[in-house]
Amino acid sequence: MQSDVIDPKLVQEFLSFTKNVADAPKLVPAPAEITLESTPYDVAYEEDKVRLLHFKPLAEKQIKTPLIISYAIINRYHILDIQPKKSWVRKILESGIDTYMIDWGNPSNIDKYLDFDDYVNSYMDSCVEFVKKETGTDSVSMQGYCTGGTIATIYATMYPRKIKNLIATAPVIDGWKDTTVVSNVAKHIDVDKLVEVIGNMPPEFMYYCFSILKPFEQGIEKYYRFFKNIHDKEFVDSFLRVEKWLSETPPIPGELFKQWIKDIYQENLLIQNKMFVGGKQVDLKNITMPIFIQTAVGDHLVSPECSMPLYYAVGSQDKTLRVYPTGHVGMIASSFSQKQILPELIQWLKER
Amino acid sequence: MSQDVNLPLDYYKHVSLFWTDLLHLMSGKPLALTSVGPMRNWANDIKKISAEVIESYESVVQFNQRLTEYYKQLTETWNEAQKKVNAKATSIPQDSEQLEAYKRIWIDIFENDFTQLFDSEKFGQNYSKLVSAELDLTKHWENILNVALQSLRLPTRKEVDEVYKELHELRKRVSKLEKKEPSDAE
Repeated sequence: MQSDVIDPKLVQEFLSFTKNVADAPKLVPAPAEITLESTPYDVAYEEDKVRLLHFKPLAEKQIKTPLIISYAIINRYHILDIQPKKSWVRKILESGIDTYMIDWGNPSNIDKYLDFDDYVNSYMDSCVEFVKKETGTDSVSMQGYCTGGTIATIYATMYPRKIKNLIATAPVIDGWKDTTVVSNVAKHIDVDKLVEVIGNMPPEFMYYCFSILKPFEQGIEKYYRFFKNIHDKEFVDSFLRVEKWLSETPPIPGELFKQWIKDIYQENLLIQNKMFVGGKQVDLKNITMPIFIQTAVGDHLVSPECSMPLYYAVGSQDKTLRVYPTGHVGMIASSFSQKQILPELIQWLKER
Repeated sequence: MSQDVNLPLDYYKHVSLFWTDLLHLMSGKPLALTSVGPMRNWANDIKKISAEVIESYESVVQFNQRLTEYYKQLTETWNEAQKKVNAKATSIPQDSEQLEAYKRIWIDIFENDFTQLFDSEKFGQNYSKLVSAELDLTKHWENILNVALQSLRLPTRKEVDEVYKELHELRKRVSKLEKKEPSDAE
């Protein structure tokens, strides 16, 4: 028989939760008041809307080969430097690696016709050439995250001599093997029509894709936890930074988006070595430099099944594949990444 | 009638177009006589806009069908998930942790069922058709706007796109030339 008496603990919890909600504006800043950048940098090179950021060194002894991080075309680069304690960039700098980051910028309508050719053969190549010249090296280490991992991988197939080490973190490679709900939408969408009518892929479409990824965990539970932990400064700061980062995704140039969806998700040309960029065929066997592939078992944006085929497709003898017990963002901006993923990566880079 | 008109929508479209065209023809001469300059264009524009509105009816119907199907899929999944939660709720112990346990079960079941829906072929197909119908509607709206833009002697979206394309190609050529320059000098 059900009891008619309400548990006092429940009442207390309810009252405490409502008090937290009421107190929230007094305790935490509004997302608009938060600055996402934490590690100082100079803008070393600019081309159109693309910027190459050069982070200021944090260690005296520097490793000779510089590292260029190719951030994704979705959201902005800030997640790799979201806060000092969870900063991917800071940890790498502290290990003495000279670090650059490609910020793809905020494309507008005028950039509608930018495609893979522009991103790989123009922007990325200009950045690599700039870094080579500035540091006096013949080749650089390149890390690509998510869609930035795909661009970095394609670049490495076309300019293998310029890349000493390649790190692909959750790269989108085999679209047919991707088990995420985003790939289901991507496989069915009429992308020609979308780009013809709308032009650049608007952020709203990306937000829709985000909304179907764990909608209840991300839409309800996450915010419940936020208000429940409103007095935990570290938790709240981290939460708001990630939320702000999530809410600021730039449009994707129409032609690039079209090629992305068709060649990778719908026809799956990249893994079959049938994709063309700037009139040249992309052959993953051209990747012969040391390669480190990082995937996460809980990645619901790029499933490990989508990234792992790269390991078997490249021509490298020196290749490493890791599957970490975390998610897409957890892999690059979490305590776990600081304790396990980054030390492993830094060691791998130092050995090479 | 020059075409087979079987469906009610086709018939409605035909009747609307017939009267729009005929009224335009009938009023053509009086309008030409009484209106001058931009006003003459305005009369022509009205016909183009009316024709575009009539053409868009089919897209509106398509969009509504797909939107209904979309919400039907969401509602059915919601109802099924809620049934599963209700069936499981009886096994939750009646203690102070009950609310937390119920919330966890609710989220897990809903997450699982909705992920299955979003991952299904049926959802992917309907969502794609929904977006496609929305784009058809956007296209009609753009065509109507183009009529107004042309009337004001302003560039249409297509013309602006041509400029963007030209600029993109020029930027590419300049970039290639800039890269070539140092090696030529050597």
